[in-house]
Amino acid sequence: MSWIAIALKNILRRPIRSILTVAGVAIAVAMLFNLLEFQRGYEKGLRSELSDLGAHIMIVPRGCPYEAATIVLHGGKWPRYMEEDWYSVVRGTDGIESSTGIIMDAIIRDGGRENLIYMGIDDDYPELRPSWKYERGGWFDEPASAILGASVARSMGVSAGDTITIHDEPRVPATQMKVAGVLERTNSQDDGLIFLPQHTLQKVFGLEGKLVVILVKLSDVSRTDEVVSSLRQASMEADAGMNVFPLSELLNTLTSLLSSTRVFVLAIVVVAFVIGGVGVLTTILMAVFERTREIGMMKAMGAARVDVFRLVWLETLFTTIGGGLAGVLLALLSGRGVVALLRLVLPHTPADFAMGMSGSTFGICIGVSVVLGVIAGTWPAWRAASISPITAIRGGSS
Amino acid sequence: MKQNGQIVYAQNLAKSYAVGKREIEALRGIDFTISPGEFVVLLGPSGAGKTTTLNLVGGLDRPTSGALSVAGQMVAEGELHATERSLDALRREQVGFVFSEFHLLPTLTAVENVQVPLVWVDESGRDRAEALLCRVGLGHRLTHRPDELSGGEMQRVALARALINEPALLLADEPTANLDTSTRDEIFELLRELSNEGLAILFATHDHELAERGDTVLRLSDGVILDG
Ligand SMILES: Nc1ncnc2c1ncn2[C@@H]1O[C@H](COP(=O)(O)OP(=O)(O)OP(=O)(O)O)[C@@H](O)[C@H]1O
Ligand SMILES: [Mg+2]
Repeated sequence: MSWIAIALKNILRRPIRSILTVAGVAIAVAMLFNLLEFQRGYEKGLRSELSDLGAHIMIVPRGCPYEAATIVLHGGKWPRYMEEDWYSVVRGTDGIESSTGIIMDAIIRDGGRENLIYMGIDDDYPELRPSWKYERGGWFDEPASAILGASVARSMGVSAGDTITIHDEPRVPATQMKVAGVLERTNSQDDGLIFLPQHTLQKVFGLEGKLVVILVKLSDVSRTDEVVSSLRQASMEADAGMNVFPLSELLNTLTSLLSSTRVFVLAIVVVAFVIGGVGVLTTILMAVFERTREIGMMKAMGAARVDVFRLVWLETLFTTIGGGLAGVLLALLSGRGVVALLRLVLPHTPADFAMGMSGSTFGICIGVSVVLGVIAGTWPAWRAASISPITAIRGGSS
Repeated sequence: MKQNGQIVYAQNLAKSYAVGKREIEALRGIDFTISPGEFVVLLGPSGAGKTTTLNLVGGLDRPTSGALSVAGQMVAEGELHATERSLDALRREQVGFVFSEFHLLPTLTAVENVQVPLVWVDESGRDRAEALLCRVGLGHRLTHRPDELSGGEMQRVALARALINEPALLLADEPTANLDTSTRDEIFELLRELSNEGLAILFATHDHELAERGDTVLRLSDGVILDG
């Protein structure tokens, strides 16, 4: 016989009431767990996605880059192009390790049902994409060749060595391309892209001398600000109208876009904890009232105030810690569903974004459960400790 | 004031309760002593002050005036009162209680109920609990829960529980009130045996028949002990 055994048996005395109480805590903890893991996973995903890009600075023609991306994705002409000459200015700038110019266009047919995005890249591109892997084949072996993302290759039913035809008459005359390589699936936008040699794309789509974006990799990341301002300076001097921004800023923009949502979710989590905590408080308080005579008898048998306090406190802690563990379990079981839901709802989710379980999240969830137990248990435990043995024992006969 | 070898020493012990503006004098200055192994029956009608006396002796309540010491420990002496801590310790170490209600924990088996008072001294004492249950004649009901026991059996469990801390004094407040006469006699005989083995017992009852079987009878009426 021990304190723990008595406390556990007391909890099990009213199983349904205890289960409901534990469930209240579990829901709050599961929400907290998902929030914390989401934050961690999302930022980690974004960061790895950006470092995967291997670039530190992005240069686009003036205009909102998000808007431009939307236009590309939904078809239509890229709003603005930059001149290829500008690329050589960028290359000549001090502090740049490598850079690559990219041209893009899209072909939309069947009223949007077929939507192919073409990306023209040069020999420097792979340097900025260290994580690129081919499932089949490799780099362009002739001007009229293409590299396909995993999804496109599958939906077209082609592999390395096959031939594809680009056509969007009258703008783009039918042109045959040999598939030089197929990329491994990455779950990023790469999967849906068709890569062409830069000059080939410019010629086929009638965009000679044009680029849409330049990606820059620095030899020393700590000099980012310096390089950005000298590029901005150069853009002004040449009146090129370029928008130069460091990608770390993009990370901040995306994460701050989410912070308002996070505050909202956090508020819900707090409310859930208050509800769960009040549930625990009332359950334990009811249990104390029901057991007034029992507790009085314990005191008659020599239990001191602290002994009774400890017993009720233990019961509360077991309830909330049980709720904490159940909540973590619930969160782990529902994690996949939550990620799927977030992918539908959020404007951008990183490719390798998943809800896992980190030691710190687990620790915080259990820690919060303990704190909840300590808070919710104090008042009932104090009430129990103050029960007078005489009135409690006399209680039955009156 | 520590009286040589006496388990209980009470002198001019009084207790009054304030009910609204009125003072109810439950005990009006009683004197008595209990020696080791003595079986004292506190006899009196309802409202005489029997429970009040037991509560004072067991340190559950504090006297209004008078002197009281239990097992060599001062409980009250005039204005002086023992601390709550020392009264807890007194009950934990020197005193056992049985009531007419059994106050067993419904979730625990008979043995576990007997072990409860050991929880706060961090002892297990399962063997001792089993031995005590055998002693009170319940060796065959060790793992039964209270709802699987008869009234007499429950009172035996409660008695074993009161004895687990090896007290010097057992306070019994009408422990047989809820039992039929044959069970009542069995329990009483058990207490007699324990008393013969050295346990001091203060047994409150309104049952004259039982009173004759004690070593000493204190006739209590309206808060005073009658002579004879
Ligand atoms: N907490 C209390 N507050 C006020 N009056 C009380 C209190 N406890 C006892 N009394 C009064 O003190 C007197 C003695 O009560 P006590 O319980 O000691 O009697 P008793 O001899 O045990 O009676 P019974 O045989 O019915 O149990 C009674 O008049 C009772 O009403
Ligand atoms: Mg009474």
